[in-house]
Amino acid sequence: MSGNDSRFFTTTKKGEIAEFKDELRSLDKTKQCDAVKKVIAAMTVGKDVSMLFPDVVNCMQTSNLELKKLVYLYLINYAKSQPELAIMAVNTFVKDSQDPNPLIRALAVRTMGCIRVERITEYLCDPLMKCMRDDDPYVRKTAAICVAKLFDINPELVEDRGFLDGLKELLGDSNPMVVANAVASLMEISSRSPKAGVFAISPQVLFKLLSALNECTEWGQVFILDALASYNSRDSREAESIVERVAPRLSHANCAIVLSAVKVLMKQLDLITSPDMQASLCKKMAPPLVTLLSTEPEMQYVALRNIALIVQKRPEILQHEVKVFFCKYNDPTYVKMEKLEIIIALVNDRNVDQVLLELKEYATEVDVDFVRKAVRCIGRCAVMLERAAQKCIAVLLELISTKVNYVTQEAVVVIMHIFRRYPNRYESVIADLCDNLDTLDEPDAKAAMIWIIGEYASRIDNAEELLESFLETFPEEPPNVQLQLLTATVKLFLKKPTEGPQNMIQLVLSNATQETDNPDLRDRAFVYWRLLSTDPEAAKEVVLAEKPVISDDARSIEASLLNELLSNMGTLASVYHKPPESFVSRARYPVSSGTGSVAVDYGAMSGPESSSGGLVGDLLGGDVTPATAPAGNAAPPTDLMGDLMGLDVGAPAAVAAAPPMATPSGADMLGDLLGGGAPAAPAAPAAPLDPFDLLGGGGAPVGGAAGGAPPPALPLPVLLPAARGNGMEISGAVKSLNGQVVYELSVSNQGAQPIDGVMIQLNKSFFGLAPTSPAVTLTPSPVPPGGMARGSAPLAINSAMVVPPGTAPSVSLQVAVKHNGSAGQVYYFTDSLSLDALFAADGRLEKNAFLDLWRGIPDSQEQSTRVQAVIPTGDALIAKLEARSVFFLARRPADNGMEAFYFCGKLISHHGYVLLELSLREGVPGIKVCVRSQASEVSPLALQCVEKLLLA
Amino acid sequence: MGFVLSKLLSLFGEREARILVLGLDNAGKTTILYRLQVGEVVSTIPTIGFNVETVTYKNIKFQVWDLGGQTSIRPYWRCYFPNTQAVIYVVDSTDHERLATTKQEFHSILEEDELKDAVLLVYANKQDLPGALSETEVAEGLGLHTIKTRQYAIFKTSAIKGEGLFEGLEWLSGVLKTKTW
Repeated sequence: MSGNDSRFFTTTKKGEIAEFKDELRSLDKTKQCDAVKKVIAAMTVGKDVSMLFPDVVNCMQTSNLELKKLVYLYLINYAKSQPELAIMAVNTFVKDSQDPNPLIRALAVRTMGCIRVERITEYLCDPLMKCMRDDDPYVRKTAAICVAKLFDINPELVEDRGFLDGLKELLGDSNPMVVANAVASLMEISSRSPKAGVFAISPQVLFKLLSALNECTEWGQVFILDALASYNSRDSREAESIVERVAPRLSHANCAIVLSAVKVLMKQLDLITSPDMQASLCKKMAPPLVTLLSTEPEMQYVALRNIALIVQKRPEILQHEVKVFFCKYNDPTYVKMEKLEIIIALVNDRNVDQVLLELKEYATEVDVDFVRKAVRCIGRCAVMLERAAQKCIAVLLELISTKVNYVTQEAVVVIMHIFRRYPNRYESVIADLCDNLDTLDEPDAKAAMIWIIGEYASRIDNAEELLESFLETFPEEPPNVQLQLLTATVKLFLKKPTEGPQNMIQLVLSNATQETDNPDLRDRAFVYWRLLSTDPEAAKEVVLAEKPVISDDARSIEASLLNELLSNMGTLASVYHKPPESFVSRARYPVSSGTGSVAVDYGAMSGPESSSGGLVGDLLGGDVTPATAPAGNAAPPTDLMGDLMGLDVGAPAAVAAAPPMATPSGADMLGDLLGGGAPAAPAAPAAPLDPFDLLGGGGAPVGGAAGGAPPPALPLPVLLPAARGNGMEISGAVKSLNGQVVYELSVSNQGAQPIDGVMIQLNKSFFGLAPTSPAVTLTPSPVPPGGMARGSAPLAINSAMVVPPGTAPSVSLQVAVKHNGSAGQVYYFTDSLSLDALFAADGRLEKNAFLDLWRGIPDSQEQSTRVQAVIPTGDALIAKLEARSVFFLARRPADNGMEAFYFCGKLISHHGYVLLELSLREGVPGIKVCVRSQASEVSPLALQCVEKLLLA
Repeated sequence: MGFVLSKLLSLFGEREARILVLGLDNAGKTTILYRLQVGEVVSTIPTIGFNVETVTYKNIKFQVWDLGGQTSIRPYWRCYFPNTQAVIYVVDSTDHERLATTKQEFHSILEEDELKDAVLLVYANKQDLPGALSETEVAEGLGLHTIKTRQYAIFKTSAIKGEGLFEGLEWLSGVLKTKTW
């Protein structure tokens, strides 16, 4: 670059930021205000203006409310990026919280709560406390919410400074808005606090809440109602009085209030003993729920999901309202689907005609998914209501006769279910079904049809022919069709043991055992084969056993889950139909990818699942249709998976339903079947140390040179700050003590509870270090609050804990720690060890052995570096390294007046010897270090280690 | 319009000056500020941050910045140095132990490039209390005599009684009027 080009680096332009700076410092107030506006504008469009922090903060003390608001806005945004400078704002906050203008007081308190800077929170406690007792209700209500914010930043502070008591006082405030916010704040805190009973509603509080309920704003009402929903009434009378006060809220225009009020009523309804009162309450709840359906589709959907829960618990509330849930032509599909569910939940003998008419109408619409679901719903009506079954069949036949392909296919599946529910009653329709055989192309429909043919083989004259037509394509069929074909052929053979079926069965069995990779199919074929060849009578009893009757439980939710969901009505949980903890994680510190994923592991929301009635009977009789297993949230007790597991452990149910299995050969086969066909049971039994398994933490930072390890005698470096360890601060380092590698630890308890039972575990690492026992002996133990304890955990090389070969050599360790009080929470941190901790005490070599080793390692594997350290004398160097079990062998003069020193060290891991050559001149900076290692991959680590020892 | 007006004001002789009030914690900076501004003693708490008020005296509008004196805040004083015409350095005359500390802080301020043109006014505060050092002793303690290159003065004050404060301001306004900025 020529000299002239330097002009490109100097410019006379000062840039926007400098301009802002000048204007912010202006003494002219209007200019200053404009400047702050410009800064906020820049901030809004995403420019980084954090460097103006001190200048903007200096504009904070102003009587201009507009300017003040803008500066506060800036502060909220950038305080986190300038945590030190944020302290300069504290005094202004304190002053503003005493301003004569209540708006400014409230603004100050609100902004304080939004600035999440640990360093300044404690200065904010006093102003906050003052504002909680302010004369102005607006300030008090803002302060109440601010307490919850403070709790999120620093829970201990809130508890120690008595803010909780302050909030409880506010529950009795004369202003209903303050009461509502205090309730909201307490609810928030109690949901986050590990301690139980932070906010328990007492009868006195209950009275205060009920009296505030009518007067506060709509969202305040929601807070109060939600709190009331957690109250357990003492007796029926109290429940009645609550209901009386809450019931008028049902007529509110705000849907959230209606849902929250319904939530409270549903809870109290359980406690009310008087049937009259119950009935009248149910009557009252219907109209508001119906009104919810006249809102926008999105809100309708939420309402419908909640109603689905309500009708499952108390169908009587809406039993006369089924018409309301009939679909409108312009409803979005998701609303229609949900409405169908509720129609099915509400159908009874009285309204079934009406419902069937409606469902039939739906089955002629154009939306394929909706049509299919409507058809399925007809089947569910039939399964649920015996008296309506005939009518349902008639409707289905009518639909089949329309010859619309997907309607026919769905109808076939549905009719199979009806046959399962009412065996041997409606076979007359089989003929109609058989007419449509050729049009079936979906696996489910095919499988259903084949099941019907197999089941009623004796009644269908041409069953053989029909099955044969399917057999032609046997190898290409999907697994569930193949399985059904196999079973149906066996059934056919057992019912009509003639030549034709015999040929078929041989073809199928050989096909299924020899030419398939599907273990389910192969194993089932083997079972049949052996059954048939050993004892055809037993086979008959197994395969043609009477099957249990199915019932419709596709959407039923287990009672305890239902109650939990009802108590979460009006939240996402009641829309997902999942308990909140399954999709919301309250963890304040995401620790590792392993634990982080647990919360989201529940998978995507399962869509409207197929209404397959339980398939359990099929399974026991030998027909498995895995594809239609009712997956999803409801998890009824007769879930397919659950039963497979039951079979796996030989549950009595399985044996009882298949008596012939009791014969020796049968039992043998059962074993066979389970051995090969049972779906992968959890492979390894959970190890006792399972929570410590850090494999999930693979994404943790690895690497980091040797810089992290400390020299001895200094205080141990902090590995886990108290803020991350819920009050437990851990310092430590890996050291070698008398030839034993130990993890020296010091635990400082900054929490409120004593700490004991500290356990430690290391993830797989390059050297494979692992504690010999997970328990850490600390003195004193337990560690009292505010106290500190030291201890050590002996470590050893464990070949099972070595990372797979090919991983970059590293001295970093991933550590997990837990203790008795951590309630299962595991704290993770990373540390790096100093290689010198791993040198064995018996690593001294003879000179000849050293020479042989040195020469045995090719020159190309030698690594070297220069260290800018000064060694006063050779003896000092020797003493220094020998103290770390790096042993001195020889010294000799080298070129240029240098002197060469030879050392060796032996690693306790499988990496063997590390050989060193140090060339230096006494008292002169600059040492050349050469390393040759038996395991060349440790050489860079050895270099780093030696460099550190020399510089120490 | 605003521009024209400010021009006019300066024609009438009204000028503005930016002044920093510095000193160790508990020296009485905030009390002095409000004594100057509202003329009475207000109860104060340690200033975590700053106060800023405008004090008009002898046709000069002083924009007075009172910065917190805690050790943790002193590093941020420098954010306020630019464009400062005068520094009022407040010393607690009864705090014998920390005289060395306050001298150290005082001299580090003197070395600041951004303050090289600023006028220095030292208040030996808390003269109402027994055991207070005299202004000469304070001047000695601060090493005032080593200052060669700038204008300075020391006044003995009592913020509680309101003594000496306006004398200092009088001196300051006199000096500032002779300066041009």
